[in-house]
Amino acid sequence: MNNWFKSGSPWVWLCAGGVSISLISVLGLLWLIASRGLSYFWPAEIVQFNVLDEHGVKSVVIGEIYDRERIPAQQLAHTQIKLPAGQDTVERLLVKTGNRELVSLDFRWLLVPQITKQSTPEHLVVIERRSNGNFYGVIESLILEGEKVELSQLPELLERVEHFQEQIETLQKTDIGAINYQLERLRLKERKHELDGTLTVELSLSFAKEVNELKTLYSQLEKKLMALRQEIARDQLLVRAMDGQIVTLNFEDILAVTFNNQLTTINKISLFFSQIAGFIVDDPREANTEGGVFPAIFGTVLMVLLMTVIVSPFGVIAAIYLHEYAGNNALTKLLRIAVINLAGVPSIVYGVFGLGFFVYMVGGSLDQLFYSETLPSPTFGTPGVMWSAITLAILTLPVVIVSTEEGLSRIPSAMRHGSLALGATKAETLWRIILPIASPAIMTGIILAIARAAGEVAPLMLVGVVKMAPNLPLDGNFPFLHLDRKFMHLGFHIYDVGFQSPNVEAARPLVYATAFLLITIIVALNMTAVSIRNKLREKYKMLEH
Amino acid sequence: MISVTPNALSDSPNKIDLSNMKPEQIALDIKGLNLHYGNKQALQDITMSIPKGQVTAFIGPSGCGKSTLLRCINRMNDLVDICKITGEINLHGENIYGRHVDVAALRRKVGMVFQRPNPFPKSIYENVVYGVRIAGENNRRNLDDIVEKSLKSAALWNEVKDRLHESALGLSGGQQQRLVIARAIAIEPEVLLLDEPTSALDPISTLTIEELINDLKKQFTVVIVTHNMQQAARVSDQTAFMYMGDLIEYSDTNTLFTTPVKKKTEDYITGRYG
Repeated sequence: MNNWFKSGSPWVWLCAGGVSISLISVLGLLWLIASRGLSYFWPAEIVQFNVLDEHGVKSVVIGEIYDRERIPAQQLAHTQIKLPAGQDTVERLLVKTGNRELVSLDFRWLLVPQITKQSTPEHLVVIERRSNGNFYGVIESLILEGEKVELSQLPELLERVEHFQEQIETLQKTDIGAINYQLERLRLKERKHELDGTLTVELSLSFAKEVNELKTLYSQLEKKLMALRQEIARDQLLVRAMDGQIVTLNFEDILAVTFNNQLTTINKISLFFSQIAGFIVDDPREANTEGGVFPAIFGTVLMVLLMTVIVSPFGVIAAIYLHEYAGNNALTKLLRIAVINLAGVPSIVYGVFGLGFFVYMVGGSLDQLFYSETLPSPTFGTPGVMWSAITLAILTLPVVIVSTEEGLSRIPSAMRHGSLALGATKAETLWRIILPIASPAIMTGIILAIARAAGEVAPLMLVGVVKMAPNLPLDGNFPFLHLDRKFMHLGFHIYDVGFQSPNVEAARPLVYATAFLLITIIVALNMTAVSIRNKLREKYKMLEH
Repeated sequence: MISVTPNALSDSPNKIDLSNMKPEQIALDIKGLNLHYGNKQALQDITMSIPKGQVTAFIGPSGCGKSTLLRCINRMNDLVDICKITGEINLHGENIYGRHVDVAALRRKVGMVFQRPNPFPKSIYENVVYGVRIAGENNRRNLDDIVEKSLKSAALWNEVKDRLHESALGLSGGQQQRLVIARAIAIEPEVLLLDEPTSALDPISTLTIEELINDLKKQFTVVIVTHNMQQAARVSDQTAFMYMGDLIEYSDTNTLFTTPVKKKTEDYITGRYG
């Protein structure tokens, strides 16, 4: 036993155990999030339950099984359910029944003992809609221009509507959006001239002319839009809900009609992937509880990239100064300690600082200096993607400084001396020799900064993130990158959907899916940075002294 | 007493009277040089003249100050904060410790090769042209010529001419050291300082470098610090023996190794300490 201790084996076992525990927890977390998140996209069976409740009332429930759990029988004492002797728990099912216009709740709990029959009829259909969530039921008839027609025309009609919807969307977002943007810019231009006192009659006339032209264009587009709207409002679908009510669904509202119970495995797999793709590229609907998360993905990535662009040069410059130029005295040590401590400040404090200093002070001053024409509505004096990036850049600055400094101090002095002895100045040595060799360490700092920034939500809530941003910070209107705009963020999206939504139960799988996506994005960003670092490492591999 | 190969002796062409040199024969004139590391004095009142176009060796036991003296010649000691230097080193009659000296320009005139090969993590080509690029030369054709000339002077051209753009770190230790020498002579210095250039190398590489040093003195004034007395005897024309920061004896190599004047020198070269 004593020898066993001396051999060092226990420590090896201890270390291996520690590694295993971390590995298991990481993989477990990923597995949990991935399985819960991805199952959201798998087309589930639509089940029809015949239920006999405690009052003897028979009913039919149609929906997807979301969850099952066992609850103690005491909880159900009031329902007078007769349980077999010795059984003290009851299984219950959470069923998503949709049809929000008929019943206020999307979900229903069913006690398993009360279910008299459970089946999966093939004619059950799930209809994904633009509003009011999913509809579960049976298709009664298809109405084309007021006439009943064969059901076989359904795919054709759906395609037609989808085609029109796309046109409407481009019209609204791109064309009409651009006109609105130009109108706003014209108004601001005029206002600026007015403020500067340079607004002549001619100028204001030419402005009015331009505005009129744009407005004519606008009304033309609007007419086109109305025509399209009428086109898609032409046809209807009559469906019967689980309680026998007949509901008329307008085609403009319908996104997809799926007979889940008729799908083969291959259909299901292709549907699964198309649902994932839709989640990634679509805009959110229904207060973020339905649809995709594209604006949030875009916002997250853009903000992190901006943050990286800001933090890298500042961090590297600061580290170079601290390590290469600052004298080795008490003040430098104090500075270094301050930098390290900066990493320990709670992130919400940075948020408050960002709001007070950047948004209100800096942004407010910028507005007064350069955007006075838009006042009192602020341009930069309000939370936005630029302030978020800068705030997170400050938050991650210590990480970059510390790892860059570490990298600088690892470079053997032989490299410096070699360069200096060839007549290079200190600055030339730094630029041509030291920085390239330190670049893997700088990349490590950037990787850590990205990892920290991409997962940070709290400060962003103060300096730029919103639940629903009408426009992306990047679009086709000059100057293309709108740093003053508010943006959506996956981390905040998780919080918002999971805890602020009116329908938490419905949103739960979405929370997992979004979390999984966020992790995937952070991992992807990190892997990119890591592969760049590995390339640099290979290139500037140090001598094996 | 160490046997000096007659070859090396006959090789030293025009034997120079060290105590009585003409100004144009002197490459470096060191006068009353003192160096302190904090409170510790590392060099004491060194005065010597190093002749042009010859190989001068500094020998002595570890910690005697020979490397420190070498580093004074291109002001590498400036990098040590606690280092204080008084006295003069004159290059072309101009004190390199004078007030308006451009240290980078000085180091272009006085090149240096270190104990361990320290190629930059760049290609062989980029290593050689590093100093030239710093000096402002960017013409591709000129750079190509310089690379070829320097690598040939450093006896490395034939081994690396087909892989000039591969990493210098792929070379062997001896090749790396010759690359570093090529890098130093690419900027055409007047003086080349070698700080124990073979101490990290195997015997065959050492031999190559020693042969190289013999060739180099045709173009440059070479100052070499070495631990190895045989090496000093083989490659140098003059030898200076240093002990505890003092210059004990300085004369032509043959005299120093065969008939040393000072007792300490004799003790050292006969291996009584060191």
